[in-house]
Amino acid sequence: MENPELVSGIPLIIIGVLGFLAVAGLLFAPDRTPQAASEATQEVAHPGGHPSPAQYIGIGLFLGAITAVEVWVYYVDAIADALTPILLVLSITKFVVVVLMFMHLAFDSKIFSTLFVGGLLLALSLFVVVLTTLGAGLT
Amino acid sequence: MAHAIAAPAGHETNTGLDNRKLLMWLFLGSECLFFGSFISAFLLYRNRNLVGPYPEDLFDIPFTSISSFVLLMSSVTMVLALSAIQRGDMRGLRIWLVATALLGISFLSGQAFEFTEFYNEGLTLKTNVFGTTFFVLTGFHGTHVAVGVLILLSMYVMSTQGTLTSEHSLAVELAGLYWHFVDIVWIVIFTLIYLVQPT
Repeated sequence: MENPELVSGIPLIIIGVLGFLAVAGLLFAPDRTPQAASEATQEVAHPGGHPSPAQYIGIGLFLGAITAVEVWVYYVDAIADALTPILLVLSITKFVVVVLMFMHLAFDSKIFSTLFVGGLLLALSLFVVVLTTLGAGLT
Repeated sequence: MAHAIAAPAGHETNTGLDNRKLLMWLFLGSECLFFGSFISAFLLYRNRNLVGPYPEDLFDIPFTSISSFVLLMSSVTMVLALSAIQRGDMRGLRIWLVATALLGISFLSGQAFEFTEFYNEGLTLKTNVFGTTFFVLTGFHGTHVAVGVLILLSMYVMSTQGTLTSEHSLAVELAGLYWHFVDIVWIVIFTLIYLVQPT
């Protein structure tokens, strides 16, 4: 199979896009229930500083753009020497944005941050200790 | 109707926070160690294969980048589902829960296809250390995604039956935390395993 992605990858994407469009169509179809009028004013930033749905979509598009840059950078030979640090910076950016904005860590109690960051630091410590003592690395 | 984040239901807690949410964050902290150990093992054994096939022979970056984008967008739909139930919009909740589940299933389909292709190229758990570490790491991640899809579909069914109402936004929030964590693990996996090239 010379181009396996053409067999299933692109059709998968098409199905996904059609599904998303169908969902979006359902979402934006007129809602004729009595609650529709009161809910129509709810497209504002959520109380407590949380982003609005439109802002969430904007953040998602931003994350998608970073992913596209990551893939583009992968194919640019001129910056091959700097590939690893560039990819690390981009992936850390996506990681932090998802944790802070989607998981609401930026808006919630610091106790949650402590629990998660504590586990993350332990994992990173394990990472560093294992790789350095056993003579391995990112590349 | 706008309302604040759901306060702890019923009993008082020492922290003033809901114990279920506290437990979920504690669980996610432990999951960082879980996946961190597998990622460390993969990187440790990188370039130490005695026989092929090797990663550069198998990885299809364009295909995997599309899978990554699909999973990333599922995080967007998941947070939109949470936003919907917090506004009391149960119809929106159901739509975004289904959308998230569909995107998750798409991701799993891509993973299954990739695993099949690698197997057909001769890579199994026992072929070399790349096969072992790769399949264990991505297999566990895929299992987590599959469990997440089951959770989302269960919530959809519960919302149609009236069991899950706008008063239960915490349940959706906890499912969202799990789903977003699965996504950020894939962000790390995609970068370190697929994109960062061994010298």
